[in-house]
Amino acid sequence: MIDWFLRLCGTRCVLVLILLGCGVQVYAASALVGTEAPDFALKGRDGKNLRLSEFRGQVVLVNFWARWAGDARLEIKDLDRINATYQRAGLVVLGVSVDEDLRRAREFVDSMHASYPMLFDGGSNIGRDYHLEKMPVTVLIDRLGVVRYVNVGFKRGDESAYLDQIRELLRE
Amino acid sequence: MNSKSRSLLKIVCVGLLAGLWAGTTVLAAPPAAAVPAVPAASVAPSVPAATDAAVLPANGTVAPDAAPKASDFKTLDQEVQGVKKDVIDLNKDLFVLEEELLFPANTQVAVFLSMDVGTFFGLDSVTVKIDNKEVTNYLYTAREASALLKGGVHRLYLGNLKVGKHELVAFFTGKGPVERDYRRGATISFDKGVGAKYLELKISDRVPKHQPEFMVKDWE
Repeated sequence: MIDWFLRLCGTRCVLVLILLGCGVQVYAASALVGTEAPDFALKGRDGKNLRLSEFRGQVVLVNFWARWAGDARLEIKDLDRINATYQRAGLVVLGVSVDEDLRRAREFVDSMHASYPMLFDGGSNIGRDYHLEKMPVTVLIDRLGVVRYVNVGFKRGDESAYLDQIRELLRE
Repeated sequence: MNSKSRSLLKIVCVGLLAGLWAGTTVLAAPPAAAVPAVPAASVAPSVPAATDAAVLPANGTVAPDAAPKASDFKTLDQEVQGVKKDVIDLNKDLFVLEEELLFPANTQVAVFLSMDVGTFFGLDSVTVKIDNKEVTNYLYTAREASALLKGGVHRLYLGNLKVGKHELVAFFTGKGPVERDYRRGATISFDKGVGAKYLELKISDRVPKHQPEFMVKDWE
């Protein structure tokens, strides 16, 4: 009887912890929505520095990725297609690698031949500013520099959700 | 301390804006209770109304001249512009107040960066250390570097320092002559007095040597 009671309590505790964890994750991911996107300046693949605030007036999609997280290859290919289609309509796609191993990240990027700028985070505060607890994270920023959508994770078919969000922001 | 001061400033700002808004609203359209009562017989259709509200004649039809005139819109527009100007002035005053609160003159230290010509150096980033502690690391984009070459001055750092002797070390990274990676440092020891301290990091060209030159200037 006591064993049964303890087991029940244990299960409940685990459930509560899982729910709390989910709550924290949801909070972390959505905390930025409606706020001004934290500015950053990072070095690109070509050695040039890019600053987010310099794209004010355009819709910006920032994709934080790492080689080890999710299907980065598939997502980069999808974003490449989106960039090719909507670039002329005022969309800017920025890829930000948060890999600690910069050399391998560069090799990975070189093998992908992405048409949009790929930036490398060399130990800035970007992870903290954007609450990057899970990878990949795709943030959509409107023309006024406000975060409108935060998409955590990526699976096949998510690109259609990105397209809906992009079209909505481009129409504004 | 800083967050408290910011919160206080925000409250002051909101209060002042609300006060300003309320003041202008009262000026533009005083509430019915504030307007002295005028006998109905004394309100003639041809007499311009004191308020923006349209005045109906005794028979209930709208008088032809009761429609808003172009001059009314102009006045309203002027008032809106006036309010906008007041808000901008207020914002400026608040900004100055915030800086004075967060960085009082007796502890304030500011570091600026300027660039002259830049033939021998393409600026990429600057790292500033004060008393061996990194206080800022700034990456410059092509647009920002171009603005510096046009005479712009960038405030790299604003902070607080105690009175006394301090040392500033600045590291400049970029492309040197013949597109080579270039990294140089410049150091200055300075005395922080009771007043604000302004230091300028200056990048210029040393033409005879075909090399860039990095200087730190102490503005007294």
